[in-house]
Amino acid sequence: MSLYVAAFGFGLVSTSVIALAAVGFTMQFGITNMINLAYGEVMIASAYVAYYIDSAGLSIWLAMIGAALFGAVFSFPINRFIYAPFQRRGTALLGMVIVSLAVSLMISNLMLPIVGYFSVSYRERFSSLLRLGPLALTVNQIAIIFLALAVMLAIHALLRYTRLGKAMRATAANPTLARSCGIPTQRVIDVVWLITGALCGLAGVVAALDSDSFTIASGAGFLITALAAAVLGGAGQPYGAMLGAVVIGMVTELSAAAWSPDYKEVVAFAILVLVMVLRPQGLLAKRGALAAAG
Amino acid sequence: MKSFQPRIGATAGLLAAVVLAACGGGSSSSGGGLGSGDLLVGVLAPFSGPDANLGPAYYAACLAAAPEINNSGGVGGRQIKCQQFDTRGEPADAAPAANQMIAGNSNLMAVVGCTSDEASAVAPIVDKAHVPMFCMTGQSEFNKTKLPYFHRLVPADIYDAYAMVGWIQYGPNHPAWNKVALVFGDDIGSQSFVEPATNALKHFGKTVQNFPIHLGASSFRTEVTSMLQFKPDVIFTEALGSAGTYLGEVKELNGSKTIPFVGTSATIDPQWFKDVTSTIGVDDLVANYRGVDLGYTFSGTAYDEFQNNLKIAATTFANAPKYNQRGSTLHLYDGIIMSALAMVATNSHDTTVYNPKIKEIANGTSGATDVHTYKEGLDALKAGKSIHYVGAAGANDFDQYNNSQSGYILVKYDAQGNEVQVAQLTPDQTKALSDAGGI
Repeated sequence: MSLYVAAFGFGLVSTSVIALAAVGFTMQFGITNMINLAYGEVMIASAYVAYYIDSAGLSIWLAMIGAALFGAVFSFPINRFIYAPFQRRGTALLGMVIVSLAVSLMISNLMLPIVGYFSVSYRERFSSLLRLGPLALTVNQIAIIFLALAVMLAIHALLRYTRLGKAMRATAANPTLARSCGIPTQRVIDVVWLITGALCGLAGVVAALDSDSFTIASGAGFLITALAAAVLGGAGQPYGAMLGAVVIGMVTELSAAAWSPDYKEVVAFAILVLVMVLRPQGLLAKRGALAAAG
Repeated sequence: MKSFQPRIGATAGLLAAVVLAACGGGSSSSGGGLGSGDLLVGVLAPFSGPDANLGPAYYAACLAAAPEINNSGGVGGRQIKCQQFDTRGEPADAAPAANQMIAGNSNLMAVVGCTSDEASAVAPIVDKAHVPMFCMTGQSEFNKTKLPYFHRLVPADIYDAYAMVGWIQYGPNHPAWNKVALVFGDDIGSQSFVEPATNALKHFGKTVQNFPIHLGASSFRTEVTSMLQFKPDVIFTEALGSAGTYLGEVKELNGSKTIPFVGTSATIDPQWFKDVTSTIGVDDLVANYRGVDLGYTFSGTAYDEFQNNLKIAATTFANAPKYNQRGSTLHLYDGIIMSALAMVATNSHDTTVYNPKIKEIANGTSGATDVHTYKEGLDALKAGKSIHYVGAAGANDFDQYNNSQSGYILVKYDAQGNEVQVAQLTPDQTKALSDAGGI
């Protein structure tokens, strides 16, 4: 039983890491209609930026802010100067996926000579272990959980209670109509890429910190779980991505406790497939903040 | 009609690919002579994915062997080039990579790499193309392989597993280790350590439990918690690409205390050292790590030459000199040089002609002259002598299945990441371990 309690705690940490990554990813799709496969590479590039800041002797939490800023500043031109021109020419969604794959490979290969093959770790990767019975979490892990909670609440407030959030929802629902109503959709999209880029950067550092060590190859793994959570929850739905993160984060850890760890990803992705069969639109489609009415 | 155009295009493309493959589907050609133009060594290995740290070690071997051969005039004037072919450590990616390598390069003289991740998929392909290969797989299925172009310069994984058990039984300066946790990847190659280690440990009265992990996962907290509940005295591991994360979480969840661990010969690797020290720290690694390796001397003419060539290789691959004590780098370097010498000895670039000569040069024949470098080999061959190559990794002794084996040493790391030999398993000890394993 104690293993299940411990796994539940770890599931909370995994959920937090996945949610941070998945919400940004799904917002990019929901608002700008872009399945950005370069998301994982931007995450890992941001994680390396944080690594260099951390190595310079600054706190990892300051490095996290630096990485979030980098993620925003890096993602913005990727959309403005690569994705947007293709979209303006009417490139189909599948074509855009290929473009983003190409961007992903370019980022990865440009980074390789800079960061090398070797794995790296943050100086402050270790923190005190706090125990509550069989539940054992480090201070860093608890901080990650609270950080994710705060970010999710902030996203909720942004989408629900601000003019920008309403403009985002309108742009997601029908960009032509939104433009006709006087919403500067291009500016909204720019802001979305800055915000989701910052989320991506933040998620990269959190995922790298949670992994203890990371390499340039870690980006693909980060992307797969974010993508799975986003699809499970309903593509384009931030609340769906949060729910998807809970399902995948918890299922992977609890199934590792219940059966062999060999099956933890099998179980998580089997659930994903099952949901796709029974409810192809995802768990929360048409219920999220970005969904069209109806 | 328009909808048929892509299908026609695809068919034409397929036909073109088939024709190309047929034209370049092997590097063998009839007739004598060493030919002209550059020769290619294909480094067929994981350069991405969880085992991405393996490919660079093999690439370094090729980049070191190239100047060794080229600076002595090449193979009959032909220069050696190295090219990476990324298998991503997955059979599904490895087979197309192997086919592409063969179809696109008629000047392929040898292939190095093919780890346990993909050897089963690529070895038959390379063998069918009649290209000599030097594989870094420990899989038992190759113990009695019938592939004539397959060569293995390292023992099967089961011997690595036995040597690890040897640390417990015969290794100096450690307390009694009675409970052993086996932490290997859940892939077929990694799990091949489990059965022989379990058999041998149980034979010696130890308690043992297997805790497989999925290599490349971002975290192993639940797996580590499960393993810690077993309360092991020592961990047997390899966990390439994930060892840092796993052992870091062990330390974290075990009250900042690292459990002693014994690594396979593949853990004698600069990337593995960096990966693990980045999470548990150098002091913890030096204090708690034990490993096994083949009995290299890291000295002598051939080794000195190898080190010099690694420095030259640094102009292409900056990390190459870091592989100066990586067993696989030494072995593959030797494999390439033996292939080149075999070509010169047979005066042929026909793989069917020079492939059998590789074994002859490695094992030596009666009255053969020992040579330690490519140049020494060339000079001896020019003088009409038969040669026995004793390379950077020492002498080889291929059996009828082209498997070459040597004895094991027990090692540790120093703080700089250098291997430090602490003991050597005697033949009697090795036999006792092998008998205990029963495989």
